[in-house]
Amino acid sequence: MATHQEIRESLQAFLDNYQKNERLKTMNRDWDRIILVRATDVQFEHTISLKNGELEIMEGAPGQADLTVVSDSETLADLFYGDIAPTEPYMNGTLKISGSEDDILRLDFISLMIWGE
Amino acid sequence: MKKVVSVSLGSSKRDHSVEVELLGQQFQISRIGTDGDFNRAIETLRQLDGRVDAIGLGGIDVYLIIGQKCYTVRDGLKLMDAVRKSPVVDGSGLKNTLEREAVRTLAKKHGFLRPGTKVLMVSALDRFGMAEALAEVGCAVTFGDMIFTAGIPYPVTTITELEELAGKLLPELVKLPFHMLYPTGKKQEISDRDKARKFLSFYEEAEVIAGDFHLIKRFLPETLNGQVILTNTTTKDDVEHLEKIGAGCLITTTPELQGRSFGANVMEAVLVALLEKPTEMIQARDYLDILKQLNFAPRIKHFNEEKCLKAT
Repeated sequence: MATHQEIRESLQAFLDNYQKNERLKTMNRDWDRIILVRATDVQFEHTISLKNGELEIMEGAPGQADLTVVSDSETLADLFYGDIAPTEPYMNGTLKISGSEDDILRLDFISLMIWGE
Repeated sequence: MKKVVSVSLGSSKRDHSVEVELLGQQFQISRIGTDGDFNRAIETLRQLDGRVDAIGLGGIDVYLIIGQKCYTVRDGLKLMDAVRKSPVVDGSGLKNTLEREAVRTLAKKHGFLRPGTKVLMVSALDRFGMAEALAEVGCAVTFGDMIFTAGIPYPVTTITELEELAGKLLPELVKLPFHMLYPTGKKQEISDRDKARKFLSFYEEAEVIAGDFHLIKRFLPETLNGQVILTNTTTKDDVEHLEKIGAGCLITTTPELQGRSFGANVMEAVLVALLEKPTEMIQARDYLDILKQLNFAPRIKHFNEEKCLKAT
């Protein structure tokens, strides 16, 4: 089990890598979305906000999210640190993402653009 | 008579069967659509296995060949594994040979695709041979994979970047359900109006629109301005529609058999049936040799020569 602090740090690593990726920022300029990240086994709720290609992370849940990412703490930390890709846990049900299929696919692309091979 | 069947995840509305003679042999070539129903496709494949000379898998890719790398689509492999006795192909072998040659032929013999021609390739990762050939003849190509597959308005314009993105994305994307990446079943019958509007400029600015016809059709604007469409798998209705909305010309890389251009998977299955070699023994050279014997050449249908954009 990962701690609240570990998941927070993994999200920060995700953010740091996103910020370094100018191409990804360009790609996401048209995609303003609010994403809720929630752990199932520890108290953890954070909001990822994407606006004009800029990404921000905030503590707590948003009023309304376009996408909700829910998993156990270990999977979330692994995911945001890039130790695992989202596809396998998504396919085996460990990672649950709700939202439109287009948005889910796009989130997958972003994650792979940051951490892909 | 040799029997070749294409089992497709696409709409059953496009089902058809033709009889043709190729290199002195009679062929019955059929297409069975399963409306995106994966289990029905597997069941159909099992029923046909051992009873036909070759099977093509349509509406799905199994192998994505990008340069020296080959990525295997998990769902495609599941379908392929349902067939044990008959040879089964997905069209990737033919895309990598016939389509590459078709582009070269169009440039050398027909004066199409001159250096600098603006080409929109709606998706390139599924037909990298065509993508490389278009770049090789000097076209200014926009590879639309990020745009039309992921909805990300990011045009890729070089083969190098395309390969780099493939290396990052494909090892994981090939594990996703195929319907998330490509329109299957009923989705093939309806256009995506929102994305068509959002990405209209890519179609408008292109002189040639190339690639998979289901994708081209899904995002097709209401009117075109003389663009050349370079594709295959078009039906009589598709051809009429393209003419009606103002396409300048339609070029299909696979030959027309009784009024329609068949998919690469179907034609590859026909070649496999003609070659009578185990699929794992077939080389690109075999395909090129037999294509030469068959005298397959791109089919060019002009709709409006005056309006046809300068790519011609």
